[in-house]
Amino acid sequence: MEPEPPGGEEGGGEEPGEEGLIEFYGSFKEMFEFFCKNTTIHGTVRLVCSGRNRAKTVFWTLLLLASLAMLYWQFALMFSQFWAYPVVLTMSMDSEPKMFPAVTVCNLDPYRFEPISEQLEQLERMAEESLTFLYGPTASARLSHRRDRDRDRDRDKDKDRDKEKDKDRDKNKDRDRDKGRDRDKGRDRDKAIPVQPRANLSTNFRLSQNFSLVRMWEPGEGRKHSRVGFQLCNSTGGDCFYSSHVSGTAALQEWFRFHFINLLAQLPPALARHPQRFQDLVYSCQYDGEPCRPSDYIPFHHPVFGSCYTFNSKGTDPFWRATKPGIPYGLSLILRAEQQEHIPLLSTVAGVKVMIHSHNQTPFLEHEGFHIRPGIATTIGIRQDQVNRLGGNYGKCTTDGADVAVELLYNSSYTLQACLHSCFQRAMLRHCGCGHIYYPLPAGARYCDYRRQPAWGHCFYQLHWRLRSHRLDCFQHCPKPCRESLYKVSAGTAKWPSVKSQDWVRQALRHQNSYSSSSSRRDVAKVTIFYRQLSSQAVREAPLLSENLLLSSMGSQWSLWFGSSVLSVVEMLELLLDTLVLSLLFCFQRFHAGRSPRPIPNSRENSRESREEPGKGQEWDLGQP
Amino acid sequence: MAPPGPEAGRAAGTAPGKKITARLKRTLPVRGPQAPTLSELMRWYCLNTNTHGCRRIVVSRGRLRRLLWILLTLSAVGLILWQCAELLMNYYSASVSVTVQFQKLPFPAVTICNINPYKYSAMKEYLSELDKETKKALETFYGFSEGKSKVRRSVEDWNSTGSDFFEQIPLLKVEDFSRTATELHSGQKRRIEGSVFHKDSSIVNSGDSNDIIGFQLCDANNSSECALYTFSSGVNAIQEWYKLHYMNIMAQIPLETKEKLSYSAEDFLLTCFFDGISCDKRHFTRFHHPLHGNCYTFNSGESGTILSTSTGGSEYGLQVVLYIDEAEYNPFLVTSTGAKIMIHDQNEYPFIEDIGTEIETAAATSIGMHFTQSRKLSKPYSDCTETGADIPVENLYNKSYSLQICLHSCFQKAMVDSCGCAQYAQPLPAGAEYCNYKKNPNWMYCYYRLHEKFVKEQLGCQQICKDACSFKEWALTTSIAQWPSVVSEDWMLRVLSWDKGQKLNKKLNKTDLANLMVFYKDLNERFISENPANTLVILLSNFGGQLGLWMSCSVVCVIEIVEVFFIDSLSIVTRHQWQRAKKWWSGRRRGGAGQAQAGDEERQGHDNPACVDEDLPTFTTALRLPLPQDSPLPRTPPPNYSTLRLETAFTEQLPDTLELGRH
Repeated sequence: MEPEPPGGEEGGGEEPGEEGLIEFYGSFKEMFEFFCKNTTIHGTVRLVCSGRNRAKTVFWTLLLLASLAMLYWQFALMFSQFWAYPVVLTMSMDSEPKMFPAVTVCNLDPYRFEPISEQLEQLERMAEESLTFLYGPTASARLSHRRDRDRDRDRDKDKDRDKEKDKDRDKNKDRDRDKGRDRDKGRDRDKAIPVQPRANLSTNFRLSQNFSLVRMWEPGEGRKHSRVGFQLCNSTGGDCFYSSHVSGTAALQEWFRFHFINLLAQLPPALARHPQRFQDLVYSCQYDGEPCRPSDYIPFHHPVFGSCYTFNSKGTDPFWRATKPGIPYGLSLILRAEQQEHIPLLSTVAGVKVMIHSHNQTPFLEHEGFHIRPGIATTIGIRQDQVNRLGGNYGKCTTDGADVAVELLYNSSYTLQACLHSCFQRAMLRHCGCGHIYYPLPAGARYCDYRRQPAWGHCFYQLHWRLRSHRLDCFQHCPKPCRESLYKVSAGTAKWPSVKSQDWVRQALRHQNSYSSSSSRRDVAKVTIFYRQLSSQAVREAPLLSENLLLSSMGSQWSLWFGSSVLSVVEMLELLLDTLVLSLLFCFQRFHAGRSPRPIPNSRENSRESREEPGKGQEWDLGQP
Repeated sequence: MAPPGPEAGRAAGTAPGKKITARLKRTLPVRGPQAPTLSELMRWYCLNTNTHGCRRIVVSRGRLRRLLWILLTLSAVGLILWQCAELLMNYYSASVSVTVQFQKLPFPAVTICNINPYKYSAMKEYLSELDKETKKALETFYGFSEGKSKVRRSVEDWNSTGSDFFEQIPLLKVEDFSRTATELHSGQKRRIEGSVFHKDSSIVNSGDSNDIIGFQLCDANNSSECALYTFSSGVNAIQEWYKLHYMNIMAQIPLETKEKLSYSAEDFLLTCFFDGISCDKRHFTRFHHPLHGNCYTFNSGESGTILSTSTGGSEYGLQVVLYIDEAEYNPFLVTSTGAKIMIHDQNEYPFIEDIGTEIETAAATSIGMHFTQSRKLSKPYSDCTETGADIPVENLYNKSYSLQICLHSCFQKAMVDSCGCAQYAQPLPAGAEYCNYKKNPNWMYCYYRLHEKFVKEQLGCQQICKDACSFKEWALTTSIAQWPSVVSEDWMLRVLSWDKGQKLNKKLNKTDLANLMVFYKDLNERFISENPANTLVILLSNFGGQLGLWMSCSVVCVIEIVEVFFIDSLSIVTRHQWQRAKKWWSGRRRGGAGQAQAGDEERQGHDNPACVDEDLPTFTTALRLPLPQDSPLPRTPPPNYSTLRLETAFTEQLPDTLELGRH
């Protein structure tokens, strides 16, 4: 507690009279007595104010200390628990009216863009050659998508060239690597595949022959185990590695995709628009028994998944309100699952890719999409689950992505995937100097192709490997969103159209849409997406200890051990402040007295003086120190 | 504290009732507040209360200090109120407990239906005209002619004298957009404004031919009110149109006949295994569904026992081979082939048309289940219903309550009320009958109007119907494999057809068969239940904590506050008012002459310091009030408010007061 106040025989009188704005005690003793008399803290009163009984004082001191210890121990426990920010999960069923989720469908039929079709054919021929080279002439397959008359015209030329290339390849196998590359480049320039300048782009881009598929024999395994892959080197050529696969199909696809990306980078952005008509993919679209409207879908083209449409992407139109659960009230689509354009090495699946996602969210079909078989009616029941994270002190999450270090490249709401992709694209731009074609570009950047950045493949694969092994800090920079909707999907399938009905169904489709069907029913698919139940399960994080409860338990502890309150603490503070001001005052007075010619008065006199002077203490105006 | 006796003495001579009141007054004397004026009372309270802060207001010196303490105390009170309000508001929160227990689980009911409701060959009698009409429409719209089809020939054979109700709702080919659009405007009513028909709709405009197919429903009483229904695809239009007429026809056929027209258990179920033991059609209960014909429910619990599985895994679930019989499919009603199944509780109605899962033919479908049971707390924690008894909608289904049942019942009720007949797909309310075109020519228009209202939530069904508090859920994981395999196909089909062959003299085709397995993936039951997070004890202790934290207050001090601030202050104020009123009254009686005297009297009333001591001595000591040393003697016998008290007591004590004042 406070030290015994110096001097002062008796407390100041409490005569009622005109009050000053601020009044101070005449002496420390007066102040202390006032405190003793008027404090509300239990224990202290007994301790300090219980008179001269020593034993009692000691007893009360001990008691006070013990209860103080208990109190602060409990406080420490409480605060450590609070500052760990524990959360409890609460689960609730929300049955508020909701919107139908956004649905994206893709036809898995990437478009052959006109400006690069010539190079695509070359690429396909290169793939054919690689197949022959890897697996022998018996394994040669026709991959090229050329029309037959073109083929006839070019056949002779191709043959010659193929032979030549095979020879080259054989030579390549056992030549010195560095030397070979130089030579290869030179030869490329020399024999420049004759390209008819059908489109203006064709003239200035050539497929690189540097990245050819080779078979690698695993050491020690003899000729039983081998891997197929292609080599990627950095710009100096000093650091090379093979992107290799056990399976030749995977390697070929990977290789094809790598070249295809370079081709796509040639396309001017305006051309990479959606080229297909809605009716060519969606024969029928109905929601809740009513036909969809043109404003209900947004088309886009995905380089691998082909033409895509996102239905109800905004989620604001009352048309898409979900009123009842059940198949008749869902979204029903008849889709074409036929592959016309065929880039056979790019997508090897036939059917339709479907993804169900939240509104305003970029659909990442490679992550969450699922396939629909042709010739089948698939009914997909969905159930919405919501996750609400607390964020703030309770965990890392972001409400709208504004506080995330990574700037989103997607023009949609924040998702973890969008953040990761943006982060990766920016890392690409930083390290490789160009952007990957799968992700959007920030302003001023351009897509990678090996004409401009011959080593970008090496750079990309290195970076991708670092991302996958969590060495890139993208996962640290991208927090989870605080509010997420997950759609649980369960599917049932039935053959469609049935044998009995297929005749008229196809006739109707053929007549209304430009449906040119062959005899098999494997080119249409029906999808119905519906809510299994309208109530959604929401998992929420709630603080286990709210401030409110913390205060309550603090108060209980305080009352239990000490019987004091926040106001008692303020009393103590007031006492401290008073002591400080008083001692300052006395010091000042003494200092002043020392300088004056008067004989030095002792503290007792001083205090008596001060008591006498104003009657009950010093009066101060607000402005004075 | 007991007052002096004279009152008792006086009361002795009076009635016994008064005696008792007198005794009461003596033993439990009613005294006024602790101080005569409000400010005195406040001062007294602040000095004597146990609540922190108040005392400081009084004892602190300096105006600023006093003001600070007043502010501090008030803010502490405010904080207490705020925090306690928050505690109260969060009182009705629930915590969730999830228990996972491993136990022998009861197997759910499995309802299996063929997608096609009735055998097409048996239905010809009823549907021939409709089919003929449909084919005619197909031929005119699409140039589709089923030259080789047997159906067509048979339909021609069945060409009977046609009734004309197909003509009333014919399929239309909408060719000229502008013309139709204007027609629509004059027609006033559409299903949903703006969405039915778009002049510039690209879907509508699609394809080689610029026409769309739809049909028009008109109000029979007022032919100018029509609704045109168009579809984005002719397939949908024809199916919808067919279904409309189909329901009309089916509504006229009695239930027994319909059951005969549909598949029998022997037809439908080829083999059955449950828990590794063979089972047969006796384990299935027939259930007639209006849209799917005869359905069969396994383990429906109607026999009194509910089967359960001892082990998880596909071997120990239900395995059935279904005979789908694709040849008997109705080509216009259903376009997909397969069966529909639904897994539900024995007390639950299977809404197979809404949420049934389809399974494929020529394939083995394995459905793994995971059982979750949830319980919510009902009011006031959430707005759900335990049994549905408190919902003002009659449950038309003979099963336990669910939201879906409520919505369907509500709609059916509204349908019967406004259209005069019941919709075919839902059960009949008492005294109603299903709509058919002959009896209720207007029902289709009425139905679509009503459905539009329902979707727009104008019927009030969504508001009335609440969620059920507890529900069971089987989460399904489906996987499909080709079945039978190429090598096993031969013997399997032979054996199966031999099994069936006694009755059916045709070889089974693998596209007519479907293999279904339903099993528990594991026997873990997940039980999610809500419990109240707060009890009264916790709430009280939290209150105590808040009171203690800010002001070291307790319930007693709250009572004290109520006593002082409400009862005592009120009594002081009323006394004051009473006194004033009385004075005014007497002043008025005395007239203008007594005015000055009245003013005097007021000052001498309770303001007279001598009166303060009336119920002392405890009061003065408690207050430590300075005794009125030098105050003048009261000039008049004080005060008028004594009428509130016992007159006698006052007069007795008056000399005492005077004495005190003197010394």
